[in-house]
Amino acid sequence: MEREEKSNTGYLKELTKGFIRENPIFVLCLGLCPTLAVSNLVENAFGMGIAFFFVLLCSNITISLVQKLIPDEVRIPCFIVIIASFVTVASLLMQWFIPDVYARMSLYINLIVVNCIILGRAEAFASKNNVFRSMLDAIGMGIGFTAGLFIISAIREVTGFGTFLGFRLIPENIKPITIMILAPGAFFTIGFLMALFNLIRIKKGKVSK
Amino acid sequence: MTLGQIIALFMGSVFVQNFIFSRFLGLCPYVGVSKDTPSAMGMGFAVVFVMTTASAVTWILYRYILIPFDLTYLKIVAFILVIASFVQFVEMFLKKTFPALHRSLGIYLPLITTNCAVLGVAFLNITQFESESYGFAKSTLQGFFAGIGFMLAMLIMSGIREKLEYAEIPESMKGLAIVFVTAGLISIAFLGFSGFKL
Amino acid sequence: MLKDKHLTVTVSPHIKTALTTEKMMWIVSCALVPAAGAGIYFFGFHAALVITVCVVSSLLTEFLCTLLMKKPATIKDGSAFLTGLLLALCLPPELPLWMCALGGFFSIAVTKFAFGGLGYNIFNPALAGRAFLMGAFAKEMTTWKTLQVFPDGITAATPLNLLKEQGYDSLMKVFDSHSHLFRELFIGRVGGSIGETSAGLLIIGGLILLFARIITWHIPVSYIFTVMVISYFTGGVFGIPFHLFSGGLVLGAFFMATDPVTSPITPKGQIIFGIGCGILTMLIRIRGGYPEGVCYAILLMNSVTPLIERYSKTKIFGVKR
Repeated sequence: MEREEKSNTGYLKELTKGFIRENPIFVLCLGLCPTLAVSNLVENAFGMGIAFFFVLLCSNITISLVQKLIPDEVRIPCFIVIIASFVTVASLLMQWFIPDVYARMSLYINLIVVNCIILGRAEAFASKNNVFRSMLDAIGMGIGFTAGLFIISAIREVTGFGTFLGFRLIPENIKPITIMILAPGAFFTIGFLMALFNLIRIKKGKVSK
Repeated sequence: MTLGQIIALFMGSVFVQNFIFSRFLGLCPYVGVSKDTPSAMGMGFAVVFVMTTASAVTWILYRYILIPFDLTYLKIVAFILVIASFVQFVEMFLKKTFPALHRSLGIYLPLITTNCAVLGVAFLNITQFESESYGFAKSTLQGFFAGIGFMLAMLIMSGIREKLEYAEIPESMKGLAIVFVTAGLISIAFLGFSGFKL
Repeated sequence: MLKDKHLTVTVSPHIKTALTTEKMMWIVSCALVPAAGAGIYFFGFHAALVITVCVVSSLLTEFLCTLLMKKPATIKDGSAFLTGLLLALCLPPELPLWMCALGGFFSIAVTKFAFGGLGYNIFNPALAGRAFLMGAFAKEMTTWKTLQVFPDGITAATPLNLLKEQGYDSLMKVFDSHSHLFRELFIGRVGGSIGETSAGLLIIGGLILLFARIITWHIPVSYIFTVMVISYFTGGVFGIPFHLFSGGLVLGAFFMATDPVTSPITPKGQIIFGIGCGILTMLIRIRGGYPEGVCYAILLMNSVTPLIERYSKTKIFGVKR
């Protein structure tokens, strides 16, 4: 959350930094609760990703638009109210369009409101930058988050169910490793993916030296 | 409310569906503040306190304001505002009346506003106990026990992390990676409680 | 790394006797041989295959991990062999072999080497491997080889399973008398994991460890005593020998809970550890979803071991804190 974005880099960098370099899940380690809770199925992960993307984009745009109007002392409560309103919208829309996915994860959709990534981007980026930059930032972070969620959920669904988006990948007679869709599987998946990210970073660091 | 129900609530929220190891709520403070036992303890106490009282407050708000005025769709906004202002109020109250307690808990209180465990238990309460009898008592107790479960998880992890300080953990596993693998192993052990019945 | 041996300080447990890690591991493995032999004798050839696959996969994983992490090869110290053996002994005798291999891999790679290798692991590797397999393949892990003749189509397999799912009466139907049941449990001619059924041989193995001073009495005695007390109050006089000899209690109390790396060092801490294991074991056996709780109880106590150590530190007299 304390991360400050002061670099005047190009717009493209604003967009792509969320993909890997500042990936919200694996590098910034923010917003982990929904990441782990809804990543047992790829379908759930997409639902979460879309809702998250929507809220992040709308709140980033809105906050960068109204930043001048909000007194500094009450900015956090104001941000929270703005975010909470968009979460309500997202949750009502999901309830209407994809009721079965929503029913499975309504708790975690509602909890987007306290997702540290969104408040973090609002505080660290959108409240200091113009609308266009904030929009790019939101898109980049949203893609980074959704992609991270997608990777975790793909690993868990394939190993834990033997399916991908409901299609059977691994033949029935090979038993899936059920624990991967239970709670421990989520912790292991994210733990070892973080280790992989670290490994890549260490390797890169050695090369550049 | 019978003693059996209370024990069932206790086992359910502390062990069977521990907020950290089974519901994944409150992970950010969990990995952030579990580096050493004293701060884990401080955060734990603060969370127990806020979760209990916030459960009570949000249940009353939902049952006696949002439902009668048909405003339930505003629950997200209403709850987060109540919790945020409540935490603020608690902080001010502690500062005035128990400065010693405030000094030890103070730094954790602002973090709790964005702790999804607090908001999570509020949402869980209203979905689980909305139309049940003793809803208020059950919600408050669930908040309290969930907080205890959170504190237990914090203490376990902080003890392990203090021990891991001396371990020769591989370079790539250092930091949060090993914390998550440890959490996975603890949650495997917690699977032993699944299917618990009285 | 410091090259001077006298200046290198490592984490506890510090070895103070001539007993090296290597020697210790092999003595423990030898103490397990009778029970493993009985398992193969009772359950047949597939049990031997399970043991072999678990041991080989543990050794192989150990070798690959030390190679990848560029650590000194520790494959010869016997710890991986022991882990594989212990894991096999708490698996059902007819588990598919690739699952055994996966369990061995998990035990060594995730529970041990992710934390830095022998001496740094928080959880007992063999038990973590078993709990992992239990979560991963619940059905295969609870498919037991039946050794008794079951009247009236009763098909539950281990005595604990039978007690949990069908109640006391059906247990008596299968074993017609208490003395018959206790005799079979003591010898090990009942359904169960490969090495956990023969309580008698395991007690002999445990006594070897005690006399070889590899373990102290604190954990096994406090663990077993707690289980006995609770089983007396929940199941009467009949409960004591039943809970004592069935399931993995003896194996767990002597061979798993006493793992020096994952249990407390101080005697006081060890007794707390044993009592905690006993309470959790009986809690899961009586109220939990699984018929057997030894594995989870020890893992849970492993996770609080650092806390027990923290609060059971020996006080230094004359120093105010």
